Amino acid sequence: MQKEIKHSWHFNQSPKEVWEYLTRPELLEQWLMKSDFQPIVGHKFRFIGGCNHDDKEAASCEVLEVSPYTQLAYSWRTNSLYDSKPFDSKVVWTLIPKEDGTELRLVHDGFTVLEDAVAHNDGWTRIGNKFAEHLNGVKI
Amino acid sequence: MRAQTLDAFQVIADPSRRQMMQLLSKDSMTINALAENFDMSRPAVSKHIKIMYNAGFISIKDIGRERYCTLKQDGFNELQEFINFFDKFWISKLKKLEALLNNKAKP
Repeated sequence: MQKEIKHSWHFNQSPKEVWEYLTRPELLEQWLMKSDFQPIVGHKFRFIGGCNHDDKEAASCEVLEVSPYTQLAYSWRTNSLYDSKPFDSKVVWTLIPKEDGTELRLVHDGFTVLEDAVAHNDGWTRIGNKFAEHLNGVKI
Repeated sequence: MRAQTLDAFQVIADPSRRQMMQLLSKDSMTINALAENFDMSRPAVSKHIKIMYNAGFISIKDIGRERYCTLKQDGFNELQEFINFFDKFWISKLKKLEALLNNKAKP
């Protein structure tokens, strides 16, 4: 089954400009969510609101990597859709300079609950394949 | 026996249940045959089975005097839905960022 989310997006702006929008709370709020983010490794912060535009905490995070204009990573602890059981994942932004702007890559993966279920134990690969088989409706 | 209804994440969070699903991924099994693999009481096994059944991970079919458990897709779909939710979430956010930056570019 799909265990990670990957997106690649092109912007006409420079990596520096795009970086600002990834790291300045007042700019983050304009497109993502309210937060008390700071580009400091180890800084713990939260995203508030999100898709429902309420004031509930959407994710609690910790900055894992800050390489200005190049890469930014933070942990992302959130709730499952169906209960309040929190679990961890990881968001990594990579900025690649292009002639006409910036390629922004997003990888959101490391969903621990899923990995725990699909990856950890020996022999667990089999059920992992079964998951995929079930989900895709095709034999692997 | 009463068993709570747990969501897909809670269902797979338990190692015994994961092991049960792993065994069932090879073939359908009777509850008795499944129970033989675990060092727990038969009611405890039944409770896990009920939980997996309620969450749509397995189906139970009576054949003769035996009850057969088979893996089912629904529970797994819920896990995939979660990933899909985030996938859509990020796409909508990136579109918003794109619009923001494009507007900014205009004089």
